[in-house]
Amino acid sequence: MRRADLLIGLGLLVVAAVYFQQSFAITRGFASDRLGPSFFPRLLAGVLAVLAVMLVIRALSRRSDPTPPPAMRLGAFLGTLALMIGYSVALPRAGFLVATPVLLAAVIWLLGLRKWSTVAGTAVGVTATLYIVFARMLKVLLP
Amino acid sequence: MLERFALGAEIAFQPLSLLMMFIGVSWGIIGGALPGISGSIAMALLLPLTFGMNPAVALMMLAGVYIGAMYGGSITAILISTPGTPGAAATVIDGYALHKQGKSGKALGVSLITGTIGGIVSVFILVALAVPLSKVALAFGPPEYFALGVFGLALISSFVGRDLVKGAISAVLGLIIATAGTDPFSGTPRFTFGTIDLLSGVALVAGMIGLFAVSEIFHQISEGVDWERVRGRFKTDLPTLVELWKLRMATAVGIVMGTIEGLLPGGGGAIAAFISYNEAKRWSKHPEEFGHGSLEGVAAPETANNVVTGTAMIPLLTFGIPGSNGAAIMLAAMLLHGVQPGPQLFERTPQIVYGLFVGMLIANIMMLVLGFLALRPSIAIVNVRPPLLYAGILALVLVGAYSISNSMVEVWVVLVTGLIGYGMRRFGFNILAVVLGLVLGFIVEANLRRSLLISLGNPWVFFTRPISGLLLLFALFTLLWPIVRQVRDDRRARAPQPATPTVSGRLHG
Repeated sequence: MRRADLLIGLGLLVVAAVYFQQSFAITRGFASDRLGPSFFPRLLAGVLAVLAVMLVIRALSRRSDPTPPPAMRLGAFLGTLALMIGYSVALPRAGFLVATPVLLAAVIWLLGLRKWSTVAGTAVGVTATLYIVFARMLKVLLP
Repeated sequence: MLERFALGAEIAFQPLSLLMMFIGVSWGIIGGALPGISGSIAMALLLPLTFGMNPAVALMMLAGVYIGAMYGGSITAILISTPGTPGAAATVIDGYALHKQGKSGKALGVSLITGTIGGIVSVFILVALAVPLSKVALAFGPPEYFALGVFGLALISSFVGRDLVKGAISAVLGLIIATAGTDPFSGTPRFTFGTIDLLSGVALVAGMIGLFAVSEIFHQISEGVDWERVRGRFKTDLPTLVELWKLRMATAVGIVMGTIEGLLPGGGGAIAAFISYNEAKRWSKHPEEFGHGSLEGVAAPETANNVVTGTAMIPLLTFGIPGSNGAAIMLAAMLLHGVQPGPQLFERTPQIVYGLFVGMLIANIMMLVLGFLALRPSIAIVNVRPPLLYAGILALVLVGAYSISNSMVEVWVVLVTGLIGYGMRRFGFNILAVVLGLVLGFIVEANLRRSLLISLGNPWVFFTRPISGLLLLFALFTLLWPIVRQVRDDRRARAPQPATPTVSGRLHG
């Protein structure tokens, strides 16, 4: 994870710097204490910066763990993520009863189950269950 | 005291409370049995459903899930050698050995009965310790609370996961996220990016669902996790009294270790389970049976992880510091309902605290019954193909997030935090530390500033007061310990030594 840790450490340094810089935008307001609302954020920015430097130094030294993170099924992961984002965009427009079975069927198909009766049955069954629990029993106004 | 228990019993024995606990325990057993769905994830999935409930009932239901999941985890540990929850990882060793010998029913029965015993004992330990401790907590001033928060974060950073630097970074990131919104001290807005309500208690719940549940599903999908199917029919076979008597030492060890782990912020019972397994072996009359199907090897870890369900509530209820993932979810549920844990909780709303005490006793007894009834449904769900499960859980998560406040904001929070949680998991960061930082941010900052206000800016106030000084000393020791261990291991590595076999497993998740 050496390379990953190096990049993460550098990224966290940027986060700490931006966060520190943003703390100057806080107005003091009616703070009754000397430290004010920006003291703790600055303290945290400092601690994060120190820890990020430690991570970077470790990544550059031989001590760090050279094994890369385990292999990913990138297609399955990104596909599922895209479907969830699509669902979140579509839900207010298409409505729960349309968007949900489509999401379910698409995720199941994407993850490798292609038997259409299983796909359709689960999609309809789960949607119906969720509808009964949330819309009927909990009285949630689903879109 | 007695009338407070009567007050608690009154609410716990209401039909609605009993029904919700019944659903909670059943869901806990089934969710716990599913590999990857730990007790805290099963709880997180139910969180949105508890929104409209009375806070006392919501907490009882979630505690029921927590309790049920501890038994559920052992079902898959015994039948397919895959722990359903991290707490059941030690159960695999002897539970699966018993299964191969055809004694699956007996292994399940021992897990169920010792888990129930552990759970019931832990409620008594909870009552015995939490009530006096809440009086101690009343005497805590701002410096003590600050020191306690720092100690809790140090423990999580250092003992959960293997990487101190990444653990500490995780905790600090949690604290940083917590500063967004309103300054706890003066009410000044800061880091709001124009959306003040983004980090209220409501978004915290969505964040928990994302960090704990969605990140696990992403992890399973991207690494192609799969598990064996359960073949055959099984029934729970309770041990006889004679057999149970032989397990007394293992059960006692589990109770002691579970109590210690529950009190310390850190694990969810996994560490206690492993230590109990090793200790039970050391104290056993038949240590040679361990690893080859010893009932004691099932009893010790299964007692320990159920004990944690009660004892993890002690730091949560008395000081507002959650001792485990499950307790962190309980805290989120409290904040969702506007309930602030801590000593005042015992005084102002005793029905919530004592309702939870009585409710947890009932839930443990329900688990004993449901251990028989829910076995078949649990096995059926474990045998469902993973894609169907993932799709169903993701749909439940998204709809549940929407239902928290009938808005899409929570849906997006769940997605973003799920993605962040998955990334952190993948690169060895510590999700529990982020969550703890997030929920403790307010306590740490407000008490830091309050202390310095009282002391007129003198930082020595944290060290001259004995309790706060001691807690900070513990925190320092906790952070230095992994470094000491590393140096020691390096020295050992230079001097060649015979390898000693040790049990280890995935201790967090």
